[in-house]
Amino acid sequence: MTLGERRNILKGLLFISPWILGFLAFNLYPLAASIWFSLCDYSVLSQPVFLGAQNYVDLWHDPVFWKALRNTVLFAVVAIPLSTLLSIGLAILLNQPIAGQGIYRTIFFLPSLVPAISLAILWQWMLNGPMGLVNSLLRPPLQAINALFGSHLQAPDWLNDPNFALWGLILTGLWGTGQAVVIYLAGLQEVPIELYEAAELDGTNSWQRFLHITLPMLSPVIFFNVLMSIIGALQTFAVPYILTGGGDGPGRSLLFLATYIYQNAFDYWNMGYASALALCLFVLIIGLSLITVHYGEKKVHYSGR
Amino acid sequence: MAKVLIENLYKIYPAEKGRPEKIAVDNANFEIQDREFMVLVGPSGCGKTTTLRMVAGLEEITRGSIYLDGKKINEVAPKDRDIAMVFQNYALYPHMSVYRNMAFGLELRGVPKDEIRRRVDSTAKILGLLEPDNLLERKPKALSGGQRQRVALGRAIVRKPKAFLFDEPLSNLDAKMRVETRTEISKLHRQLDSTMIYVTHDQTEAMTMADRIVVMRYGKIQQIAPPLELYHRPANLFVAGFIGSPPMNLLQGTLQASPKGALEFVENVTPPHFPFRGVLSTDTSRRLSSRQGKEVILGFRPEQLHPNSTASKHTLQGILEVVEPMGAETYLYLKTGAHSCICRTTETDLGLKEGSKINLGVDLSRAVFFDPKTEETIPT
Amino acid sequence: MKPTHSSFPWFSRLALILLGVLFLLPFFWMVSTSLKPLNETMKLPPEWLPTSPQWHNYPDAMKAMGPFWLYARNSLFLAFLNVVGTVFSSALVAYGFSRLDWRGRDTCFFVLLATMMIPFPVVMVPIYGLFRALGWIGTFQPLWVPAFLAGAFNVFLLRQFFLSIPKDLSEAARIDGCSEFRIFWQIILPLAKPALLTVALFQFMATWNDFLGPLIFLAREEQYTLALGLQALQGTISGTPWHHLMAASTLVLLPVLVLFFLTQRTFIRGIATTGLK
Repeated sequence: MTLGERRNILKGLLFISPWILGFLAFNLYPLAASIWFSLCDYSVLSQPVFLGAQNYVDLWHDPVFWKALRNTVLFAVVAIPLSTLLSIGLAILLNQPIAGQGIYRTIFFLPSLVPAISLAILWQWMLNGPMGLVNSLLRPPLQAINALFGSHLQAPDWLNDPNFALWGLILTGLWGTGQAVVIYLAGLQEVPIELYEAAELDGTNSWQRFLHITLPMLSPVIFFNVLMSIIGALQTFAVPYILTGGGDGPGRSLLFLATYIYQNAFDYWNMGYASALALCLFVLIIGLSLITVHYGEKKVHYSGR
Repeated sequence: MAKVLIENLYKIYPAEKGRPEKIAVDNANFEIQDREFMVLVGPSGCGKTTTLRMVAGLEEITRGSIYLDGKKINEVAPKDRDIAMVFQNYALYPHMSVYRNMAFGLELRGVPKDEIRRRVDSTAKILGLLEPDNLLERKPKALSGGQRQRVALGRAIVRKPKAFLFDEPLSNLDAKMRVETRTEISKLHRQLDSTMIYVTHDQTEAMTMADRIVVMRYGKIQQIAPPLELYHRPANLFVAGFIGSPPMNLLQGTLQASPKGALEFVENVTPPHFPFRGVLSTDTSRRLSSRQGKEVILGFRPEQLHPNSTASKHTLQGILEVVEPMGAETYLYLKTGAHSCICRTTETDLGLKEGSKINLGVDLSRAVFFDPKTEETIPT
Repeated sequence: MKPTHSSFPWFSRLALILLGVLFLLPFFWMVSTSLKPLNETMKLPPEWLPTSPQWHNYPDAMKAMGPFWLYARNSLFLAFLNVVGTVFSSALVAYGFSRLDWRGRDTCFFVLLATMMIPFPVVMVPIYGLFRALGWIGTFQPLWVPAFLAGAFNVFLLRQFFLSIPKDLSEAARIDGCSEFRIFWQIILPLAKPALLTVALFQFMATWNDFLGPLIFLAREEQYTLALGLQALQGTISGTPWHHLMAASTLVLLPVLVLFFLTQRTFIRGIATTGLK
């Protein structure tokens, strides 16, 4: 290695030294420690006691864990496609030459900026069974359907009904889809207009153009967003935690993995178990990410790469 | 004294995934004299820019040495080499004024403020940055391409370096600006009396500006010589074809014995065409005697062909394909039995018709001969 | 590029208006509730507008929350420190990954990218233990010191931007005689102002919004951020005072909205570039 190359490595390492420090303290050490703790009985106040794989055995037999896992995955599996569809749809609508695009874009984007605490409290109020806005809007059409079909549909008591609580949360998530809308809008505007013009001359209709031009050109953006959404959705904590006041929600239907981890760590001080749970979450995230990447590599079309 | 010595210089990029090892500069050896204007020229990828950047210290040297003013500078950082560089894309600091752009290097070296003022002002004057408009307080984005290039020049000049390095500085200018700036740089060289190393892919720039030229190809040096020597005595086929526009005419043929005892060049043609035949002078024939009976490539410049064939010893016959009237001269594109040739003549108004059969006179006094296998020039 | 004509102009316009109203409704409802007296909030069926706006709900809510201004100051203090720390440290690290060529750089960057996948719950417990060992639990340190150690996301963002600055600017500066840090400070940073602003904005929002961090690391009430203080309000009082809760929620939301409207273009552009990689 020449002197110049050695100098450059030194300079490079010097510049990234803040990150190196952060990496060691907040990534490497905690990851290793987490694995160690997960094999122990540990409660911060005393030294960890080695337990082998006992925590994982307990985890396997823990119905609450499975419930939390189910809730987390269900949430992700439902919320992500719904919100992706919604945000792409909104982006397409916004990409039309209609007046007031800026205003609409702001309207859709603003909710994504709302702090979690305000968001949770607001939706706690919105989803309130008797007095909430959501049900006020639902009741008239439900009554109409009841009158027409003789059914007895009722507006659900969202946050108290184990069957509907999660859906209420999903609704909350949909409101906050604005960031993705902005990203998709930018992606749409990158599509060269000549592609659409050529397709129009070829005699295609809007749906075909959407399928064969818009979607493929947008696929890298969709891929990236979906990947980020998965990683984010599986870690959901703040909103359900605040909504339930730190608890599980009706019939534990709002207990997310992250919440369960938090409870074990800071309510029960069972940090060994919490670490084991956390590592399961980690494996879940990596697994789903790898699947997405594998599937995505095949389907995503990169132009001009 | 600012001599630059390049000694056994190599730049090798090690092999990595999907790409074998690449030798960008292959054993370069040459010396640039003090105050010389040396041009490195060649097609893209030939290693000229890499060589320049190694002199600047912007690329690591794989093997070999570079000496500036007698001192080895391999391990010296760019800022301590006392060189200045003019970049192809000007590399002006966008957020600084023209004045600050030029003053920056001096500021960093602790030159006192009034001295900086003096130098920048006098350089700006030379470069026309004060008249008709004072550009010193403007930012680069408010300048034209030609003005920006002059600021880049100014930034190098105020530093009073031991050597100036130019990396294709004219490539981003339009044709007219290119010619103007070209002459300005040549004038500057005479004014500043400094060593200058200039990289370009344009052989016209090389020919018009250089004291000496280094022709490079695929990392290897092909020839080092003053412009006219490159023009009339190229070392190989590549240099012959690269230098000079329109390019040298090349005919494949053999050297045969002629009845008069001298050697005769006979063009390789297939029937029913007739070959071009040219008897060589006694001198040339003697020097090429060992080549009798062998294949050879004959090269002569377009201006060695004349529309008036009666005045020449040799005649080239062919079909006139295209006539290009350039104003002061005319280009005639001729197709012989087996080759295409270009004639450049100052005669205008020839009244020649495209598609007609014509005879051109050939002056072989400055002709060059190449070995078809090695592509090198046969010394005559 | 936007299409020159719309495929379904009337449909799009209708859909946009409908969806726009739907998206605005929660905001409207929040403010409307915040201006009602308590009994009106519980009216069935609910009324859209308050009969007369009870502006005093706002100071009442702030009082009910306790030391509101103290909480606000804490939030601002943390937000400020985080912004300063993040901008400076991320810029430094991003510079090292983009404007310098050194062996091992790309491997290190790959590691950085990989760390973005580590979910916080995984490192939460050991980091808690780490801060506890340092005696930092119950202080503000855990909530701002890490910002000075460069978060992966912001490094990624700034690196993208730094890469777009022409390489020959750095080379010219090196030949001019700049030290590397000088190039960073005097050449690259001034040119990166829009990107730095974006990072600052995002970081401000993130810190203002942060709930889990303060929840775990803060202990005493005097240290609470607004987020935590608001949650305390939600938890402690019985017979939920929705008008106060809505008022308080609006107050916490307000700075974010103001900041957004002041910096819209930078914000939107920043989000768009993160998505487009």
